[in-house]
Amino acid sequence: MSTKIRKLFPIILLLVVPCVLRAQDIKLPPDIESLSAKAKETVEVNMDGPMLRWASKFLSKEDPEEKEAAKLVENLKSIYVRSYEFTDEKAYSTAEVESLRSQFRSPTWSRVVGVRSEHDGENVDVFFRMEDEKMAGIVIISAEPKELTFVNIVGPIEIDQLADLGGEFGIPRLKTRPPSSKPLAKADKGDQK
Amino acid sequence: MNSINQNPDRLEHALQDALRREDAPENFAANVLTRVAGKSAETEPQHSWLSIFSRPLLRWAAFAAVSTCLALGGIHYLHLQRERAQGEAAKQQLMLALRIAGTKLQLAKSKVNEINTSRPQSQPENRTPRSRS
Repeated sequence: MSTKIRKLFPIILLLVVPCVLRAQDIKLPPDIESLSAKAKETVEVNMDGPMLRWASKFLSKEDPEEKEAAKLVENLKSIYVRSYEFTDEKAYSTAEVESLRSQFRSPTWSRVVGVRSEHDGENVDVFFRMEDEKMAGIVIISAEPKELTFVNIVGPIEIDQLADLGGEFGIPRLKTRPPSSKPLAKADKGDQK
Repeated sequence: MNSINQNPDRLEHALQDALRREDAPENFAANVLTRVAGKSAETEPQHSWLSIFSRPLLRWAAFAAVSTCLALGGIHYLHLQRERAQGEAAKQQLMLALRIAGTKLQLAKSKVNEINTSRPQSQPENRTPRSRS
């Protein structure tokens, strides 16, 4: 029996390792994972395919927002969210965030939006992953003075629909400030690395 | 009638004729017994299905079956309740994740819009295709 297992071990390893590597495609730096200890509020959401399917069963068909959400998650594979809110500024270092960003500087990922605001310190990066010219995933890294958010959505997703959901659920839509004489932020759009 | 009254012999003959002994027909007793048995079967009250519980063993078996059904039903109901609660919690998590993702995406959009609206006024000459969105 043990000899059979020994013979099968390389095959099992070949089957298991790619799955494990795929699951660990994106790693949150340990320093960032440990930020929950410093955070005033922490949101951690890990939802894989079966969990998403199951959760979406409980979405109401009458409620328009939930109906939209159900449509949105229909073909998704997983959703991972980490959001930390701190009482003080500089609870995390820029190097930590940079190490997170650097994972998406690969041919599979396209940096679609990169906003660096010196005025209010709100930095947002949006990365898309394309497969066969189709959207296969999105990563959002939002680094604000008192808040750090990382969102990873795997699977085809409608960006406009997702952005629309941001203004719902009782949260008001973010308003653009009136144009000022001085540029407040630097933005890169369509920058692919 | 008058002739009989007038002649007592004729009356006697008539009476003898009427009251003479005759043997019962064949199978008379058997027929009577069969009819009596049939009538008694018809008049006998029918037993209700509930009468099966008059036996103690069946009574206990029925009690045990009903108790088991109730217990299983209760467990199933609790399981459904728990599953629903977990599902609702998962739904809340999903909505929270989508809300956060949507809000951050809107933040990115608003920042880009902010830059787009502010740049033409302040630095129209420095605008590059890369900074446009």
